[in-house]
Amino acid sequence: MLRVAGLSARYGSIPVLRKVSFHVEAGEIVALVGSNGAGKSTLLRTLSGLHPLTDGTILFRGRPIQSLSPATIVRLGLVQVPEARQLFPNLTVLENLELGGYIHGRKHVARCLEGMFSLFPVLSRRKRQKAGTLSGGEQQMLSIARALMAKPALLLLDEPSLGLAPLVIDEIYGAVLALSAQGVTILLVEQNAMGALGIARRAYVLENGRIVLAGDSEELMGHDDVRRAYLGRDYRHKWER
Amino acid sequence: MMFPDPFGPISREEMRQWQLERLQTTLNRAYFQVDFYRKRMDALGLLPEDVAALEDLRTLPFTARRDLADHYPYGLFAVPLRSIVRLHTSTSTFQGKENPIVLGFTRHDVEMWRSLAVRLFEQVEVTDRDIVQVAFNYSLFPGAFTFNQAVEALGATLAPAATNSATIQLQVLQDFRCTVLATTAAFALHIADTMERTGTESSRLRLRLLLVGPEPLPDPARARIESVLGVPVYGLYGVTEMVEPGLAGECTARDGLHLAEDQFLAEVVHPVTGEPLPAGSEGELVLTTLTAEGYPLIRYRTGDVTVLREVPCPCGRKTARLSPVLRRTDNRVSVRGIPFYPEDIELLLRRFDSGLEDFRLVISTVYGIGDQIEVLLTRTPAQDLPGGGRSQYLDLLRSQLRRALGLGVRVQMVEPDQLPREGLGYRTVFRSLTPVPDSPLPSPP
Repeated sequence: MLRVAGLSARYGSIPVLRKVSFHVEAGEIVALVGSNGAGKSTLLRTLSGLHPLTDGTILFRGRPIQSLSPATIVRLGLVQVPEARQLFPNLTVLENLELGGYIHGRKHVARCLEGMFSLFPVLSRRKRQKAGTLSGGEQQMLSIARALMAKPALLLLDEPSLGLAPLVIDEIYGAVLALSAQGVTILLVEQNAMGALGIARRAYVLENGRIVLAGDSEELMGHDDVRRAYLGRDYRHKWER
Repeated sequence: MMFPDPFGPISREEMRQWQLERLQTTLNRAYFQVDFYRKRMDALGLLPEDVAALEDLRTLPFTARRDLADHYPYGLFAVPLRSIVRLHTSTSTFQGKENPIVLGFTRHDVEMWRSLAVRLFEQVEVTDRDIVQVAFNYSLFPGAFTFNQAVEALGATLAPAATNSATIQLQVLQDFRCTVLATTAAFALHIADTMERTGTESSRLRLRLLLVGPEPLPDPARARIESVLGVPVYGLYGVTEMVEPGLAGECTARDGLHLAEDQFLAEVVHPVTGEPLPAGSEGELVLTTLTAEGYPLIRYRTGDVTVLREVPCPCGRKTARLSPVLRRTDNRVSVRGIPFYPEDIELLLRRFDSGLEDFRLVISTVYGIGDQIEVLLTRTPAQDLPGGGRSQYLDLLRSQLRRALGLGVRVQMVEPDQLPREGLGYRTVFRSLTPVPDSPLPSPP
């Protein structure tokens, strides 16, 4: 589905991604975890064509997409749910959803709305409400639903659990699993390592723009380095030789 | 690493993507967590991200056996000691000029090696219905423990037989109705001899196959074992310094050893110049670990000369295959499955006796496998004999060598003109003791 090799990107003169290689198979949920500033969001923005890359290749369904415009990339089926939702707060829930699907036309929008409301029933109850008045969790659901309106083959999720209560996070992750069951391939980017590893099949750990670990989620969950980095158990000073 | 099955129907291209991803994690971790690798890369002005494609790995320097010994004990570990769950010592038996090599495995590493050993068995179609007799000297080859774990992981029945005599092994083989025997080539030959001597018919055994290694399996030895035991013999390949078996093994097609390319990146280089050679050429195997956490190795020179082929195997697996090891790039020899360096013997001899002038190792081979070792030495009469008399001297030396090698060694003091002059390796002479009617003269190991 997605194959990335040697991807580099920078902000000005500062390298943010350093020759990153990873892949996502069709039907997988793959997590990309890392702390603040590791380069996770830049990576997603680069995949979506929103940030220029300085090196490397991005193959999406066998086709290089690194020089395509963001709109073309969305049309090909690679759709991003941005960090912090980024909804149109003054538009209603329905209008936000319609905008998400507009590139595929009115008929498509009408066909898809039903599915969105059954995936997130709460949005159906709120459909006339302005997006800005929704709770954080509802906004996240709307943000995902809006991305789904664009018929993604690969959905990129940027920190969907950010700032949400644990119960709401469970609900969002439940929806992600349901989407996966419907055949949507998912790349999940998270700081919340344990949560992401809980629903992903495989994961990559990004640190300072480099992938330092890769493996099955189950294995990484018990990995000393992951625990050290994300559970605050730093015992590196006990390095024994 | 359950998904996808690297031995399943994945293309070479997909395999290369997996390898690239894992190489990046290995280099990133080695660079930031192992001073040795970091210093070497810094000296060349290289960062891990300078390796963006598999071919770029060639810009990094080789790692030699000497480097491993120089960082005794924990200098090359890439994780804190508390993440290590198993320590291994390779070359523990010989206190030569170098320190022993100490390896550390994390939980992941232990699991990885076990899964590779399982793969060795699965490649030759061992199933949970089999009874597997594992006959190794665990102190000389600690990697054999992994065979035990793998047999259990497969759900097969483990019959560990360790270093029992061939007669007892044969009895176990017969009475336990073992279907698979995993052992060294040397011991398999010994069992074949014992069967002939005792008149044991192979039809009285339930044996289906032998898995033999990690020392190379010469063709004459394979032919001999198969003719006496009447079942196929499959070879496997391991690197002594990595202790564990499982790097590569034959499948039922027996046309090369399938390399675990999901866990190791292989290069073949010219033994002298170190230049990379194209696939299909004969050269020294250089290995880089792809997922090892405790003890990553970058461009490790194995000293084994082999041929790496990337053509698909009749069995359907698409992994690259190694030819059986053709020879060593150094002087290492192997007797009864125990590898050692003549240089180390020399060091021991010279430490023991400052009056030593010269010596030869005479290695008798049977079907291409080192079977016995004899030391012929000359010394200057001016120096006193350590130990007192001549027989005490020889006894002392014999016991020192036995302790160091784990092998009985014959020692003779001779006149200088009695030292064999013909020779292949470093002060080493091979003499074939293969019974003549059975096979043509085997080549030395």
